[in-house]
Amino acid sequence: MSSTAIIVFIFVCGLIWGGLIYFLRLAVKFEKLKRGNEEI
Amino acid sequence: MGKKEFFTSRWGLILSVLGIAVGTGNIWRFSRIVAQNGGGSFLIPWVVFLFLWSLPLIIAEFALGKSARLGPLGAIAKTAGKKFGWMGGFVAFVSTGIMFYYSVVTGWCIKYFYSAVSGELLTSTDHFAMWNDFSISLLPALFHLLAIGIGIVVVYRGIVNGIEKVNKVLVSTLLVILLILLVRAVTLPNAVEGLNYFFTPEWDKVLDFKVWMNALTQNAWDTGAGWGLILTYAVYMKKKEDIPVNAALIGFGNNSVSLIAGIIIFSTVFSLSSVDAMTQITQSGPANTGLTFIYLPLLFSKLSSSNIVNNIFASMFFLALAFAALSSLISMLELTTRTFMDFGFLRKKAIFLVGALGFLFGLPSALNMDIFINQDWVWGVGLILSGGFISFAINKYGADKFRIDHINSGYSEIKLGKWYSFFMKYLIPLQAFVMLLWWLISSISWDPQWWNPFHTENLGTCLFQWGIVFLILIGFNKIITNKTLAEK
Repeated sequence: MSSTAIIVFIFVCGLIWGGLIYFLRLAVKFEKLKRGNEEI
Repeated sequence: MGKKEFFTSRWGLILSVLGIAVGTGNIWRFSRIVAQNGGGSFLIPWVVFLFLWSLPLIIAEFALGKSARLGPLGAIAKTAGKKFGWMGGFVAFVSTGIMFYYSVVTGWCIKYFYSAVSGELLTSTDHFAMWNDFSISLLPALFHLLAIGIGIVVVYRGIVNGIEKVNKVLVSTLLVILLILLVRAVTLPNAVEGLNYFFTPEWDKVLDFKVWMNALTQNAWDTGAGWGLILTYAVYMKKKEDIPVNAALIGFGNNSVSLIAGIIIFSTVFSLSSVDAMTQITQSGPANTGLTFIYLPLLFSKLSSSNIVNNIFASMFFLALAFAALSSLISMLELTTRTFMDFGFLRKKAIFLVGALGFLFGLPSALNMDIFINQDWVWGVGLILSGGFISFAINKYGADKFRIDHINSGYSEIKLGKWYSFFMKYLIPLQAFVMLLWWLISSISWDPQWWNPFHTENLGTCLFQWGIVFLILIGFNKIITNKTLAEK
């Protein structure tokens, strides 16, 4: 791939897939907290 | 009215709403639009509008549906005031109008999956003729009936045993298939040429207004934001469900699928195409069917020297496409069913009525491509108005008050700041207005008889058909809204 394509790939895919992973981890964390609170 | 149902888990909700968002727009329209708008030049504004258009509207829809516990008509009437119920009615009608012809599209996808599995698809020597023979026969009508039939069975079974259960299978399977196809596609010889094209910007197009408008429109049509469908599923969200994080998962999830599908298609086309690959991707074909139903089957037949392997990959692709279409169709059927239920119908009666209407009103699109193209145009552009009406409802309530009362509730995992109110007050209406103006003015330039309501794609046909819908909804607003909001 050309260097420009690599930069755009990193920017676009990094933002989209990175964002997805970030919010997935956040959701899993909050679900665990919710379950923990319910058990208490 | 029956027991109130709720999605049983967060993941059931997420997968179901992702089913709304992920559809043929991600898999087939996205790649064509990227190719027509300079590859990487398009991707940059496309990412920008995820944040400026899609995410704020997904959040708005979650909050509207969850707070009102009614479909679009009732939700907008309850939020903005009874006087504006007709706006919610329009939102519901546009998605219903789309449902009529989207079930035809779903039928095409099911048919091609069947053809792939039976081996017929890859043994054909003339895919254009194969598509042509299919589209002029009565088969589209038959597969349209099948698609509606499958959809109404799912919706009939309700939220938990129907929509949630089925979407868990449909969406998970579709994601797994896409990942397998992704690995296959990027490991093809010369696939990197496709990736180069996909991600390299044409610098003269980076600041091209048309490219930015196409990127905004693709977000509007692709994520399902502003259609009223997410609002409908949000009616079945538990009170303790968060809104902002769930909305972000939908937005980023949907756009992830588009990226994966784009990489698959560009890699495959550039690797296997012996002629100008770009011509193949950008050639729309009749009703934009060219790439998916004519060119990709040809490419699958060249994937390897083994017919069995080629058939497996072709079947997987069309199964993923059929699942994407079906999961979106189910949500459209549920929206119309919900609208009738809010009006006072029981689910059983409503779904049969919706199924019958869906089949009958979709039949013209199944049998006549010009009608299909017309309906796709009129209600596709109508969606922009829907997004505008949703933001209007929130502004009428008070954007800040709405943010505090319905989004930043005690159960929100992330609290949204005043920036969100700014987005709803100014940015969303501005984008809706500019998009609408752009599409309608463009249609004046491509049709000298732009005023003729009986032409396929122009301003006249939009105003004529919208006008009829507005007349009825505004004329009967009091009756419809009062009945919808009445205690049941």
